[in-house]
Amino acid sequence: MSFLFGQRPQPSSAEKIAAAEAEIEMVSNMFNQLVDTCTKKCIPPQYREADLNKGESVCLDRCVAKFFEVNVKVSEKMQGEAAQKGGAGGAGGGMFGQ
Amino acid sequence: MDSLTPAEQRELNSRMERKQMKEFMTMYSKLVQRCFDHCVNDFTTKSLISREESCVMRCVDKYMRSNERVGERFQEQNAAMMQAGSMAGR
Repeated sequence: MSFLFGQRPQPSSAEKIAAAEAEIEMVSNMFNQLVDTCTKKCIPPQYREADLNKGESVCLDRCVAKFFEVNVKVSEKMQGEAAQKGGAGGAGGGMFGQ
Repeated sequence: MDSLTPAEQRELNSRMERKQMKEFMTMYSKLVQRCFDHCVNDFTTKSLISREESCVMRCVDKYMRSNERVGERFQEQNAAMMQAGSMAGR
């Protein structure tokens, strides 16, 4: 408990851990989504061989890149729409503003 | 994000360990489901025929390798995104 007036109250231990956990959870969920969708799109269900062939490898690489791009674009668009609705000048537009 | 004390870091680490265990179990059951769905379609016999068995083996290998590859690309993209974010934030 801080007795110094004017200072922002320090987040408690539990809050800090929860915030860190939530951030990790978010990244981890995105990764799982990514794995699911890209294996579905790129790995056909035939399994003729154990190794990834060139086509599958390239497909996976591109799938990941495009997934991130979609993530960014959706985020930008939604931030844009929120800013519009809020009537504010859309200051900055967050991390991905141009 | 405020930095964590060593004690808090330990707590976070043990939660992450539990989470990783859970994720591994989820991946495992997804893998069994996937390989069974794709490889096993012949129910004229009670045990796996050799074709099905080798298909399952290849399926597991392939899945693990693609998981690995996606992980690598993910880390690269994530790192690039973090960098872009920290530069744009100025």
